[in-house]
Amino acid sequence: MSQKERGLIELYHEDPERAEYLVFGRKAGPGRRGFLKGAGLASMGAVLGTTIPFSAHMPAGLMPAALAETINEFTLDAKHADMIVHNDRPMNVEAAVHLLDDDVTPAAHHFIRNNGTMPMPMSKADWRLKIDGEVNEELELSYDQLMNDFEHVTMRAQLECGGNGRAGFNPLPRGNPWTIGAIGNAEWTGVRVSDILRRAGLKPSAVYTGHFSYDEHLSGDPDRSSISRGGPIDKMMDPHTIVALKMNGEDIPIEHGYPARVVAPGWAGSVSQKWVTRIWVRDREHDGAGMTGLSYRMPRHPVEPGAEVAHEDMMVMGSMIVKSAITHPVAGTEVRAGAPFEVRGQAWAGDNHVVRMETSIDFGATWQTAELSAPPNRYSWQRWRQTIIPPMAGYYEVWARGTDNHGNSQPMVVPGWNPRGYLNNSCHRIHVMAV
Amino acid sequence: MRKILLTCGAACAALLLAAPIQASAEERITSLADVPEDFEFYPLPPGEGVDEVYYACIACHSLRTVTNGGYSQRVWDELLDWMVEDQGMMEPEPEVREIILEYLTTHIGEDWEG
Repeated sequence: MSQKERGLIELYHEDPERAEYLVFGRKAGPGRRGFLKGAGLASMGAVLGTTIPFSAHMPAGLMPAALAETINEFTLDAKHADMIVHNDRPMNVEAAVHLLDDDVTPAAHHFIRNNGTMPMPMSKADWRLKIDGEVNEELELSYDQLMNDFEHVTMRAQLECGGNGRAGFNPLPRGNPWTIGAIGNAEWTGVRVSDILRRAGLKPSAVYTGHFSYDEHLSGDPDRSSISRGGPIDKMMDPHTIVALKMNGEDIPIEHGYPARVVAPGWAGSVSQKWVTRIWVRDREHDGAGMTGLSYRMPRHPVEPGAEVAHEDMMVMGSMIVKSAITHPVAGTEVRAGAPFEVRGQAWAGDNHVVRMETSIDFGATWQTAELSAPPNRYSWQRWRQTIIPPMAGYYEVWARGTDNHGNSQPMVVPGWNPRGYLNNSCHRIHVMAV
Repeated sequence: MRKILLTCGAACAALLLAAPIQASAEERITSLADVPEDFEFYPLPPGEGVDEVYYACIACHSLRTVTNGGYSQRVWDELLDWMVEDQGMMEPEPEVREIILEYLTTHIGEDWEG
């Protein structure tokens, strides 16, 4: 292995995670167990000296920093304190549902789903977007070109993790145990992907895109993509699919894809590549990281919970499906018996839109139609409101159910189990105490 | 609160009633909230092989990736294969792999509450 011939300090400076990987790969043997346990973290440097030829170059303090389990120490300065951190490497954070009460989701309330490292921001001056593959003319566009040479559009757009709601499935599929907060509806400004692809000129063979970005794979291997998904050319030519340059009127924060990202609203968030640097136009379904196997795929036919499903029986997910959230009041709120109180939330339906919202306070026996706002633009989520009067003191659950323009409604129980736990759109419910 | 693992039904229940101290050998943490924060390998729950698991995993990702969900042995087995084959994980020696898989299945299995 060529890596063995390089100094650890060099490895660490180039790529700390790769350096950690090399080091810890050599620590895992059971023969060293006693030493590791006895020595504790401070002695790791001495241990490394016995196995790493270049230990003399190892900076003091490297190992404790690398070993620290940072979930408690990690502070998300840019995020609201009520955000729920599932992981910090890779970073995966969802919103507590009451943080989704804004019609336009502030960056501080927007979920983060990373697959690889949180990259150091690439400067706008250095950043380029390459368009290649099944095009007449390859393009390499600068940030300034996207700012100045193309028409800009601004819209509110739902971005939802394909696995939002995964925690509800049993048995729990692998992946982040998202509850309901891996959804956001920020205002994005950018250039239509269709305008960029038209400038490059699509060949008739163009059927799919593959997206690439400058974040790194967790293993530190530069030949691996953290994630590289894409979408069918129809979705990419939809005028709502953009290369975003602004989020809520500001530069996109690094955790959301600075300086530019794809926003393909209504589809699993992984189609909306953050830190995008290349859109490869393909003559077949893209086969990058996260496109194959069981990832972002659903069984073609219903399967029993926990079933093993053959890869050939899985198909790539398209649009997300109808869903809604109760964003006010906070679950557990005390209300007055016999007095009205407002319940409100957001509703969305992927490529579709929501045409009816209903609530129930009697465990689904009866449903009352809620006030539902039209989306300000296609692909925005929609505000709904309901006034509820609890008839007497006691424990109530408020259930909310949306129906889309194709007649699809949210199920009250968790929908069909699938191997990776996607598309759980069961009704959201909160409890309130009437006193 | 720590939970007591009962693997043998009535026999263990009888043992528990008769000799609760002996049952502590069977005590197993099944919830992240019960893992002591000063435990050397936090957030992993204590158990045979915890150090192998710690060092094998933290090379690439935080331990929360491990404690976020409890899975069956089959799923853990597949995950280990996937990480080695597709994700650049350094392949552990077979006996180490066995220790890792045993730990994960036993301590972060389907009854793990996260």
